Amino acid sequence: MANQIYDVIVIGTGAGGGMAIKTLCEAGLKVCALNAGRRLDPEKDFRYHRMPWDMKFHGLDDPKRRGESFGYMDNEYTKAAWDHEIPFTTPPGMKWMWPRCNAVGGKTNFWGRSSARFGDIDFRAASLDGCDVDWPITHDEISPFYTRVEKMIGVASTVQNRPSNPDGSYLPPFKFRCLDYILQAGCDQVGVPYLPDRCAQLTQPHEGHPACHFCGECTTGCDVGSFFSTPYFLLPKAEATKNLELRTDALAKNVLVDENGQAKGVAYIDRKTKQEVEVYGRAVIVAASCIESARIMLNSKSRHWPNGIANSSGQLGRNLCDHLYGESARGSLPQLLGQPSFPDHVGDSTIAWMPRWQNLKDPHEEKFIRGYSVYPDGGCEEFPGFATDMDGFGSSFKREVKRRYPTPVSFGIQAPTLRSDTNFMDLDPEVKDPYGIPVARIHFEWDENVLKMWEHSKQVCAEVLRAAGGELEGTGDAPEIPGFSLHETGTCRMGNDPKKFVTNRFGQTHDVPNLYVCDAGVFLNCTDKTTTISILAFSLRTSEHLIENFRMGEHKAA
Amino acid sequence: MAGQGIQRRQVLRILGTAAAAAQFPGFSRWGFACGHIGNAALQIKPGAYAPQFFSAAEYATVERLTEIIIPSDATPGAKEAGVAEFIDFMVANDPDAQYGFRTGITWLDAYAEQSTGKRFMGLTPEQQTSLLEPLGFKDKARPGQDAGRRFFAMMREYTVTGFYTSKIGFEELDNPALKFYAESPECPHKDDREHKHLSQAKS
Repeated sequence: MANQIYDVIVIGTGAGGGMAIKTLCEAGLKVCALNAGRRLDPEKDFRYHRMPWDMKFHGLDDPKRRGESFGYMDNEYTKAAWDHEIPFTTPPGMKWMWPRCNAVGGKTNFWGRSSARFGDIDFRAASLDGCDVDWPITHDEISPFYTRVEKMIGVASTVQNRPSNPDGSYLPPFKFRCLDYILQAGCDQVGVPYLPDRCAQLTQPHEGHPACHFCGECTTGCDVGSFFSTPYFLLPKAEATKNLELRTDALAKNVLVDENGQAKGVAYIDRKTKQEVEVYGRAVIVAASCIESARIMLNSKSRHWPNGIANSSGQLGRNLCDHLYGESARGSLPQLLGQPSFPDHVGDSTIAWMPRWQNLKDPHEEKFIRGYSVYPDGGCEEFPGFATDMDGFGSSFKREVKRRYPTPVSFGIQAPTLRSDTNFMDLDPEVKDPYGIPVARIHFEWDENVLKMWEHSKQVCAEVLRAAGGELEGTGDAPEIPGFSLHETGTCRMGNDPKKFVTNRFGQTHDVPNLYVCDAGVFLNCTDKTTTISILAFSLRTSEHLIENFRMGEHKAA
Repeated sequence: MAGQGIQRRQVLRILGTAAAAAQFPGFSRWGFACGHIGNAALQIKPGAYAPQFFSAAEYATVERLTEIIIPSDATPGAKEAGVAEFIDFMVANDPDAQYGFRTGITWLDAYAEQSTGKRFMGLTPEQQTSLLEPLGFKDKARPGQDAGRRFFAMMREYTVTGFYTSKIGFEELDNPALKFYAESPECPHKDDREHKHLSQAKS
């Protein structure tokens, strides 16, 4: 086994890696997958319907650890699943929040499940508004891959005929709650859309997976696999082919090259033995997530690639984009005061959305270019957060908490940054991780355009809330710290010009034809949509391109 | 635990795949009593709690304050829910919160003595409530009591957090979290989508 040469080494088992692994194994290629963490056991590692009072700290986590917590999904219910042994740095004055799940399946174990396609308004944005460059692909080309992914994973939504949002193939949508109808009426008055989200959560049994049971705790892990994750949906199919060897606790260090500078395998750290191990393959797919993939490639220095593998363009790690997240407005719906409790939280915040409505007809209609989307949420949630700063005490206070329980609403923005020269990642020249590997250093600040979107969203959401008969309690003070959305893109952008782009239109690196990238690193920017379904669709396309290259003899089979 | 998991999956399989189940009227908003994993060691045992951080006197004050903030009335309150135990446990594990609680209780006793000649726990329930009103109600605030108001706000925040994450608190709100439904629950007022004509439930 020690000298076995696999057809393909895949680094990472999240959305991009998982799709590649499944596709390649089913095509008969021998795959060795490296995953930096361990396998999760849903019964032990997921929330598994535990109530707050079953938790030592009522789900609020140990105060001593809370300061180190990275984001909303890393909490007392899933604390062993998120893994931050590998540090990162930021230059002085910059901040980055980077929750990482190194477990098998990566962030698909806990993702937000919103699954809108990118459209031509995104791919051709540069032609429309003159900023940056177009994607080397059209919706017509990628659409069949989206359709196949939608059928594979199950996405609940409706056909909406929106210019910014190509429709796909959908399961029945989540039904609207009281608060949705009320907010929808407000949106109608203001003239912005309010529609069922594209939610990868199974509203009916799908492809052998049970329907959702609507417990509403998806982002702490689904213990029955009723929303897409690679351990439930893709890896079992790959394993059934017997073409997969999955190595866990295998932290990829660098891509190995042969005498011609082509990829010949991967060096990784076995985190259990702390030893460095080499594994060889005819082709390598890097799918460790946008920043981590670029870190591995930048750390892959050789006489052929003194600045990192496949980096003759100098663009590796550059062009980092991210979604600005934040609460644009919050308030309450007095219509629902005193109403019986209702399971508003069954979709865990992705039942409805306000898909991009700005700059659709004229790309310069607003003070900013491009556009953003909004996710409304509220109602009876697990904990009545509003009560912690309510006035008063006593029986009247207790009654008031109950009376207001169904009423809170909030609007969360998802707004893309534009590509810039100043947002990027590189290797920290001094700091190394516990295994001696240079860590990622992340340079990032919100740009002027995205901050204009943030201001715009505060006004519109406040207007919607008032038009819906709601009471506005406030608009957002500041957006979340960059990185919070987990939607970073751009470190290995795809494009036709090898001088300007790391990968070609198939996600294959220009410099090293047997090295491919299957994560959001290849995206030109993050658009107003979430990234996972696009990672799946692009990874499927890249994987089939790779299989075709094997068939054509470009990569020799093992 | 594993056995329970299999049992649960079976129930879910029935829920998810048997179309008949979804049509049975009793199941239309069926919440399965899931018999979650309870950790016996963490269950509250009334009367047996030994405070980890607070002194006996401090603990009695904390418990009394939680009871005043969320009292037992038509439904059980913070005392029955063991909220003081939760607060003691959280504060014992949070060095940053300890100073605020300790000095806050001291402030409250000094304030009580200054106003009535007795420490807080020596007062009648009525005296305690009237002493706390300027601290707990914005429109009754008095100047010079910022420290006391901050302490009370912190007590209220911890009490609310402990109470509404307890089983009793969930029952108080009829909390719909973590129940199971055969299909995506839907607004029951589709003839009144703007919800302008809902009957006012108990206030």
